[in-house]
Amino acid sequence: MAFNTLFKKDSLNEGGKLTERQRRFAYTSLAPILLYMGVFTLFPIVWAVLMSFFDYTPIREGSGFLGLGGANPFIAIDNYIELFTENTKPAEVFRLALKNTFIFTALVLPLNLIITLPLAVLLESIGERFKTLFRAIYFLPTISSSVALVIIWSYVYAPGWGLLSLMFKAVGLVPPKSWLQDPSQVYFGIPLAMICVVIAHVWQDFGYNLVIFVAALQSIPKTLREAARVDGANTWQEFWLVVVPLLSRTVLLTSVLTVISSLQVFVIFQLLTRGGPQNQTQTLLLSIYENAFRFANNLGLSSAMSMVLFIIILTLTVIQFRILRTEWEY
Amino acid sequence: MRKMFFVLVLASLLLAACGGVATEAPAATTDEKVEIRVWGHQAPAFNEANQKMFNDFMAANPNVTIKYETFPWDVFIQTIQTSLPAGNTADVILIPGGYTCRYASGGQLLEVPADVMTLDAAKEMFFDAPLGGQTCDGKLYGFPAEYNLEYGGAYVNPALFEAAGIAYPPAWDNWDAVVADAKKMTVLGSDGVMTTAGMHYTNSDQLFTYFLAGILEQGGNYFAEDGKHFNFNSPEAVATIQKLIDMAQTDGVVDPIIFNAESEWVGDSFAQGHNAIGVLGSWYAGDAKIGYPDLVFDYVSLPPMMGTEHKFVSVGGWGYVVGKSTQHPDIAWQLAAFLGANEANVMYFNTTSATIPAMKSVAADAKYVEAVPFASAVLPILDAGAYQGNLTDPDQLAYEIIYPTILDAVQGNQTAEEAANSIHEAANAMVDSAQ
Repeated sequence: MAFNTLFKKDSLNEGGKLTERQRRFAYTSLAPILLYMGVFTLFPIVWAVLMSFFDYTPIREGSGFLGLGGANPFIAIDNYIELFTENTKPAEVFRLALKNTFIFTALVLPLNLIITLPLAVLLESIGERFKTLFRAIYFLPTISSSVALVIIWSYVYAPGWGLLSLMFKAVGLVPPKSWLQDPSQVYFGIPLAMICVVIAHVWQDFGYNLVIFVAALQSIPKTLREAARVDGANTWQEFWLVVVPLLSRTVLLTSVLTVISSLQVFVIFQLLTRGGPQNQTQTLLLSIYENAFRFANNLGLSSAMSMVLFIIILTLTVIQFRILRTEWEY
Repeated sequence: MRKMFFVLVLASLLLAACGGVATEAPAATTDEKVEIRVWGHQAPAFNEANQKMFNDFMAANPNVTIKYETFPWDVFIQTIQTSLPAGNTADVILIPGGYTCRYASGGQLLEVPADVMTLDAAKEMFFDAPLGGQTCDGKLYGFPAEYNLEYGGAYVNPALFEAAGIAYPPAWDNWDAVVADAKKMTVLGSDGVMTTAGMHYTNSDQLFTYFLAGILEQGGNYFAEDGKHFNFNSPEAVATIQKLIDMAQTDGVVDPIIFNAESEWVGDSFAQGHNAIGVLGSWYAGDAKIGYPDLVFDYVSLPPMMGTEHKFVSVGGWGYVVGKSTQHPDIAWQLAAFLGANEANVMYFNTTSATIPAMKSVAADAKYVEAVPFASAVLPILDAGAYQGNLTDPDQLAYEIIYPTILDAVQGNQTAEEAANSIHEAANAMVDSAQ
């Protein structure tokens, strides 16, 4: 039986249900990917949830299933209580990391949208040949290696002889002694090191949203814009009253993606600042990594941190979907 | 059908979860073909030294094939963390000293059999500090391959000494003389920003090492009476932090905002001529020769910072251990002893990798000094070192508690007393949390 005729409506049972043969085919087709997802996605998630309720470290040989139990005892929600109430160093750093992660995300999201949306409109308004060229240029940092980009930015931010310091000196300004390592440099409550990482991250990441916005702009029917112009709308009114509302679903998509990726940024922090100075750029993911793999291999506590991050991402995503959902299409 | 499908998926998950646990019995004889897996850190000099010794061992034991697998540092640490408890590890592992007791106390490593070497025999053979890194609860778990030393020596740049009109090579009698020379070599730019640090001592390992050493040099002890908790707010601890603060804030030999572990790291900074005296372990000399072949430098001894006698602690150093899951413990121990307890091989390893010997007889051998001349700066003080002891979580203590706190103080953001109290409380909270 040809694949495209397997699920033809007239080959279904009465009531539209699949026949035994069709069901077998469906299960056989889905089994490999389900197996893959089960082993490499579902199982680690379930294991992480379980570990968060245990005082678990792989160094100790537990007695129960997967080493959970015995020397790695069940401690209910003690890991969560420690994270939010106790004065141990990992808990203190976690709470700071939580705050830093929110600051980072709160800075990255608007900055990214402020840059990408107008830039996409500008790109859309120029000739096809240049449009492709600029799109490729802007997208280049997104597909480049994060490590290579961090090396570039470390030259930009190098104290004294770095590109940014030299530029400041060239125009008669006094650069800070250190862009990334001076804990006393705080502007409007935000550490300078964090601002520097935000700039580097947005530079690396904005091409992704730009491409999405360009695609969305291309999908807006020209008739709607023409109708606005016929009704006397100027360019700004056309953009603000026609284009922006029609892009609200795309704004939702890019917002969700940007928030999720910002909450999970790791490489740029790990390589550019390692969480310093004085934990001013310590983020949740960095904290999870350090507790799981650098310090006492406290996978129980790290798993609890991961669950907190998961709940934050889930909550923010649901809220964003609710706020920005639209009830019409074009 | 649906039930069967889910049973299949569940069974697959369980199989995947349980996979990798070895079930075969150990080899009965040594004549059968045996493959021994060895894991190590990805370091060219280590690999070169080990590979030659593996070839020698295989030539002497034709039935044995050695498979040597190396990993970058982070991957290596994560691999042993996950593989050792899963019982799916190499037979012999070249492991950092601070990690041996962590895994031995968790039952993941085999104790050295008495017929291979006793602890008493090992004490005769090796220095206390590196041997301490391979022992746990009074039992021997491996053979130290080197002596990790972050104390007692510094890299000096002859061009910067000459430019400042200072006699070279330096022969400092006391710490004040070091600081006096460092002050002369410190250079500030026209904007007042430090371009050359006279002495860069604000790296993470150095602040940690010299903090502990400073306490010991004054006759103090950083452990509390129970041997588990810490005594980090003692007068000796406060005095040591004050000394570290004064060198930056009063003497101005380093700007710790620009020069620290994350910015202008001491090794790279020294190689680029950005510091005249780079306080760093002797291990960096090998890397510097490979990474900066044109760099002219010497490694010289430093006097005690807080007293008149050298007293310091060490994390131990790399050593050969045998994983619990090995199917061939006899051959694995034979190989580990061949690599780590055979004097000729240890000499070859230490001279090839330019590491400080853990074996006393090798350190005393003139052939070693001839091959690794810069090591002569620290060889006289090796007996003064001790193992750092059970620090509960050495990495957390060093890199999350002591280093950032002292750096903050050295940067002028807190007093020595505040820093000492902060370290004391955080370190003891770590111990309490682990119990």
